[in-house]
Amino acid sequence: MMNNAPEIIISVKNLVNRFGDQIVHNRLSLDIRRDEILGVVGGSGTGKSVLMRSILGLQKPASGEITVLGQKIEYHKPGPSRCWGVLFQGGALLSGLTVQENVELPIALYSDMPLETRHELASLKLLMTGLSLSVADKYPSELSGGMRKRVSLARALALEPKILFLDEPTAGLDPIAATEFDELITYLHDNLDLTIMMITHDVDSLFGICDRIAVLVDGGVEVGTIDEILDSDHPWIKSYFGVPRAQRARAAIGGDHHA
Amino acid sequence: MIDSYLSTEDQQERLLVGVRGDWIFDNVLALEEATASVIPRADQTVTFQCDGLDDIDIAGAWVLYDRTEQLSELGIKSELTGFKAAHFKFLQHIIDAAAIREFETLPEKPERPKILREAVENLGDASSAHIEDLGQIARSILDGMRRPSLIMIGETIKQVYLTGVQAIPVVVVITFLIGIVTAHQAAGQLEKFGASVLVVDLVSISITREMGVLLAAIMVAGRSGSAFAAALGVMKLNEEVDAMRVLGLNPNQMLIVPRILGLMIALPVLTIFADIAGIAGGALIAVGSMGISGLQFIERVAYSTDLTDFYVGLSKAPVFALLIATVGTLRGMQVQSSAEELGLKTTTAVVQSIFMIIVADALFATLFTRLGI
Repeated sequence: MMNNAPEIIISVKNLVNRFGDQIVHNRLSLDIRRDEILGVVGGSGTGKSVLMRSILGLQKPASGEITVLGQKIEYHKPGPSRCWGVLFQGGALLSGLTVQENVELPIALYSDMPLETRHELASLKLLMTGLSLSVADKYPSELSGGMRKRVSLARALALEPKILFLDEPTAGLDPIAATEFDELITYLHDNLDLTIMMITHDVDSLFGICDRIAVLVDGGVEVGTIDEILDSDHPWIKSYFGVPRAQRARAAIGGDHHA
Repeated sequence: MIDSYLSTEDQQERLLVGVRGDWIFDNVLALEEATASVIPRADQTVTFQCDGLDDIDIAGAWVLYDRTEQLSELGIKSELTGFKAAHFKFLQHIIDAAAIREFETLPEKPERPKILREAVENLGDASSAHIEDLGQIARSILDGMRRPSLIMIGETIKQVYLTGVQAIPVVVVITFLIGIVTAHQAAGQLEKFGASVLVVDLVSISITREMGVLLAAIMVAGRSGSAFAAALGVMKLNEEVDAMRVLGLNPNQMLIVPRILGLMIALPVLTIFADIAGIAGGALIAVGSMGISGLQFIERVAYSTDLTDFYVGLSKAPVFALLIATVGTLRGMQVQSSAEELGLKTTTAVVQSIFMIIVADALFATLFTRLGI
C-alpha cells in the first residue's frame, strides 16, 4: 500500500456512557487499525464490556459516534453483522441447537449454499478451532467451558469475518487451555487477515499476542504498544503491570521489552 | 470455456484451469457450479493455475479442495500452481489434522421389546426420583415447622402476597362472571317448570361446593404454578440452587417450603373471595332480570345453602394448593441445562397441576357423596 497511515477499521469518537450518576466513559475516543490485535484492559467497572457492546450496537451510548468498516453503528439496528464475529464471555451458544447447528446458523442466514456445503464448512470451522467432530451432535450444555468457547469461536468465524471481538476469551480456562487458545487466536490472525479486539485480564495474552493495548482509565483510554503502555505514568497502569504476575509474563516474552 | 471464476484450456492429456476472481464465502454457490463443469472435461491430469486469484478465503479454498478430492476419487490427478495466499496451506493443515467426517447415519430405532423395556425403566426411574423428591420436601416442611426460621417465614408471607393477594382481582372477576353464566343457564331451564327461585339454590350450592374453589385453583395453577416452575428453573440454570447448597442452605427449605405453605394459606382465602363473587354474580341476574328481590335472594341462599356446603368447598382448597405448589416447584427443580427445558417444564407444571386438581376434585365429589355430606 502506498499510503503509510494504517487503515482504521473501527473508530469510536467521544463516546459517553453513563448508568445513573455513574459515568463509565467520558468522551472516549479509540481507533482500531486493520490487522491488529488490540487488547483492552481496565479495572472492574471501567466499562470494557460496555465499550464492546457499544461498538456492537448492543448498548445505547449517551452520546458519541461509532463507525465500523465505514458504517455508522446505531443502537439495536443491524450492523455489519456479515463482517464481524463475536465471542461472548460465556460463549452465548444457543442452548436448543447442537454444536453443528450453532455454527451452521450464521452460514444458513447469510448464504444460499446447499446443505452439504454448509455442513462441511461448519465442520471445517469446528476443526479450525481445534475441536474434534465427535462434539458436533452434542448440545452446548454437554460441553466443558473451554469447548464451549471454541464452539463459540467457530461460530464467530463461520462467515469469514474481517473483525473478531473477543470478550475475555481465556477467562475460566486452565493455563494450558488458555495458552492453546492464545496460539489459536494468533494462528487465525496470521492466516485470515483478521482485526481483533480482545478484552482480557490475562497478562500472558496481553504480552504474548496483542499488538497494541488500550487501557481504560478515568473514563477515557490510553492506547499504545506494550512498551508505550509500560512507560505510562498513570498510577493504575503502573500498579497493573507492576504486580508479580505481570512481571513474570513480561519476563517470559523476552525480558527487556523495557530496558 | 470461460466464466468469471474459471477459464479452461485443453492440452495433451491435461486440462489447464485458470482460477481467478474472488473465491470467497459470498460466491460459494457460483463457485460450486463453476467447478462442477470441470469434472466431465478432465483427462488424466488437471492443473489449477491460481495466479489470477484476486481474493480467496477458507470457504472458497474449501470448494477448490473439495473438487480436487472428487477428481482424485475418479482417478484423476490434480495439481495446484501459483498459490500465494496462505489460505490453502492453512486449509491443508486442517485437513491433515483431522479428516472431515462423513455425516453419520442416524442410529436405527431399537426393536420393540427394547422400547417397551426402556419405557418401563424410564417410568420406574421417574417415579422413584419423584418419590424421593417428595419425601425430601415433606421432611423439609416438617423440619421447617419444628424450627421455623425467620427467612422462611418472611418468604412465606411474600408468597402469600404474590400468589394470593395479587390474584384476588382476577379470581373475583372470573367467578363473578361464572356466577352470571350459571344463573342465566339455570334460569332458562328452571323457568319452564315455574321454579325460577331454585336458580338461587343452584348458583349458591354449585359455587360454594365446586365452582368457587375449582376456578380459584385453576387460576392459581396458571398464575403461580408456572411462576414457581419458571423461577426455580432459572435459579437452577443460574446455579443459584447450587450456591445455596454450598452455603449450607437447604434449597428445599428456602425455596419450596415457603411456596407450598404460602399457597396453602392463599388459596383458601381466595376461595372465600371466589364464593362471594360467584354468588354476587348470580344475585345480579336473579335480582336484575328474574324479578327476585334482594331480600328474597338472601333468604333463599340462607335456606338452601348451609355452612357445610361452604366448608366442603373450602376444605378442598389446601389440597389443591399443595398439588399446585408441589408440582410447580418440583418441575422447576427438574430443570437441568437449557432454556428450552425451562419452557417445557413450565408448561408441564401448569398442565399437570390443572389435571391433578380436576382428578382430586372428582375423588372429593365421590368421597363426599359416599359420606353423605
